[in-house]
Amino acid sequence: MRKPIYIRGAEQVSIQKPLCEEWMETPIVYDVEYTRSIDPDFKQFLSPIEARRMGKILKRAVATSLRTIEKCGVKQPDAIITGTGLGCIENTELFLDALCKEGEEFLKPTHFMQSTHNTISSLLAIQTKTHGYNVTYAHKGISFDSALFDAYMQFLLGKIGSALIGGHDEMTPSYFTLLKKAGYLGCEGMVTAGETAVSIMLSSAKEDAMCEISSMRMLYSPTDAKIASTIEKMLLESNLQSDGIGAIVTGVNGNKANDEAYRHIIEATRLNVPRLKYKHIFGESYTASGLGLYAAAHCLHKREVPAHMIYEGDKEPQTGKAMLLINHSDGKTITFTLIKSITQ
Amino acid sequence: MTLEKPIFITGAGIVSSIGNDKKSVLASLLEEKSGIARLEYLKTGHKEFPVGEVKLSDKEMAGILGIKDNIPTTRTSLMGMLALKEALDDASINADDLPEVGFISGTTVGGMDMSEQFYLDFLSNDTKNEYIKTHDCGACTEMIADHFGTFGFTTTISTACSSAANAIILGANAIRNGLADIVVVGGSECITKFHLNGFNSLMILDKEHCRPFCDTRAGLNLGEGAAFIVLESRESVLKRGVEIKAELKGYGNACDAFHQTASSPDGEGAFLAMKEAIEMAGLQPSEIDYINAHGTGTPNNDHSESQAMKRLFGSDMPPVSSTKSFTGHTTSASGSIELVMCMLALRNNFVPGNLNWQKEADGVVVPVTSTRSNTPLKNILCNSFGFGGNDSSLLISKWEEQ
Repeated sequence: MRKPIYIRGAEQVSIQKPLCEEWMETPIVYDVEYTRSIDPDFKQFLSPIEARRMGKILKRAVATSLRTIEKCGVKQPDAIITGTGLGCIENTELFLDALCKEGEEFLKPTHFMQSTHNTISSLLAIQTKTHGYNVTYAHKGISFDSALFDAYMQFLLGKIGSALIGGHDEMTPSYFTLLKKAGYLGCEGMVTAGETAVSIMLSSAKEDAMCEISSMRMLYSPTDAKIASTIEKMLLESNLQSDGIGAIVTGVNGNKANDEAYRHIIEATRLNVPRLKYKHIFGESYTASGLGLYAAAHCLHKREVPAHMIYEGDKEPQTGKAMLLINHSDGKTITFTLIKSITQ
Repeated sequence: MTLEKPIFITGAGIVSSIGNDKKSVLASLLEEKSGIARLEYLKTGHKEFPVGEVKLSDKEMAGILGIKDNIPTTRTSLMGMLALKEALDDASINADDLPEVGFISGTTVGGMDMSEQFYLDFLSNDTKNEYIKTHDCGACTEMIADHFGTFGFTTTISTACSSAANAIILGANAIRNGLADIVVVGGSECITKFHLNGFNSLMILDKEHCRPFCDTRAGLNLGEGAAFIVLESRESVLKRGVEIKAELKGYGNACDAFHQTASSPDGEGAFLAMKEAIEMAGLQPSEIDYINAHGTGTPNNDHSESQAMKRLFGSDMPPVSSTKSFTGHTTSASGSIELVMCMLALRNNFVPGNLNWQKEADGVVVPVTSTRSNTPLKNILCNSFGFGGNDSSLLISKWEEQ
């Protein structure tokens, strides 16, 4: 018998109003190709001296993590696992810029020390004085999903009873320009490129849970048959029939190739249920899928799907049921996460 | 919690400054031939630092792999492909098997070698845009994977110098859960100007050959390379009829939670990681026959790691050495590179020496100073610690059918 895994709390700092769910009722609408997050007042979480030494990505990670910890009452999670597509790119760029423009003679360690991807997870361990499992994933658009997958497997093995999972990416104006040239952001018709800071507390304790994570899979360039058989297995593990799924949550973003890949994957799942979207609210970034899980968990918890989240489908999404989250990166890496309502 | 069923290692591949396959690495270890030398391949002004470079240019590696000149690659991905090829061949895995095989790689530098060459072009013109896409860690993993076919799933771990060790842990967990029967795990990392200068700015590079655990140690030498190992379930081993090379019997991951770039004085993270690995294996510390230490050669690491080992092993200290005295610190790849060396030690009954050691230091373990051959080993612990206190320890054992 599989032990259930619950989402106990989920908080965000993004291009929507931070650390709250106002986006459900009154989302801020953007008509720009790129914008930065709306930061909360960091004084609630960090002393001015601490904050001064940290880049934006770190301050936001501390804010979403500490708020999640505070709300769930899990002070020292058994595991801290972070996904980040680009890591601390602001400090990386500062060090790289100085290296390329000023040469190798006068480089200072400050930016280098905070340039590695795992700076975030380790800072959270220092802040919470947690010696437990601590790992960081950096794999394009499935960075957050990889962190979730790691936790999922350890819950199944009974190795952990709680985990703080994060998705964190900052986007500087200069790096946005590069990714626009690479065709990843800022394409015609595409949602705003944003930034992500999202923290989610997983726990084997049901108390005040928002929803349950019942199954997860990661695939690489799968055939349609492989997708169909994977979904079948996931439904079986979750004790669900295909009509138990109330909605599919997608990462459509207005980019033709990206949205076409979603259409293809959805078709291969053979599920005919309403499709939802979230990137029009939170923007695109490498770890935006973390905001997808955050949004879906809040929908299931509040038993309400905002009308602006409906992407396509003939029926109304049903919130008393399960939701299948689909995420892909370049159409190659694909993840499926099945979450269940626990209100019934 | 001990393992409910065994996890086997059925293949391994390695590229490093002391050889570009297992056979030549074994010869170098037995002959005490270090790969640390004057800089030859990386274009940097810092010629004063000795390094453990892989003795092949990017062009030569692409040639061996049959990759055309106009395909954008990075040094990290090229080294990774060479190591992966050896690992897949060793475990008799071919392209048709790959859709059921997972692939997890560790890197931190990723495609930085190209980004640092072309960054000014990225900013000012469109001549090198194809290398914007090869910058991130995930891109390197996919380049390595795609050279061989279609793996079942793939992801990338980035925990600085313990990345490859953590990739091995994730792969093992996937097998234990039955989510895969075969997972290829490890890491790859080339030397870049970016981290050579970063480590230099932190003043942790030695201008002489590094001397792990020695009283005169003054820092690390950077190295580079890649290594992958094939983890496999018993059912799959029986079905495929492949040879078991070793058993992955335990592993531990803990966070020092002390400082972003320094280790705690009592080595708490290291202590917890080693303790977890030994407990998972169902062994006593006294049953460990050799520790391949993280042993970077920095005053801080070697003292902290020694404290952790002394706390755990007390007066029963097994032979300890750091093979970074052969290869330099291969950063994100070190976890798998050193585990492959441990497999070689296990199968060929020797303890690799800790080269260049001269004098005992206060509070620091005394390592095995020269390679000890004809020493049967059963259980080996292999440490990998990273910036941010990301500490991991792996335990491999000789497999004997009961």
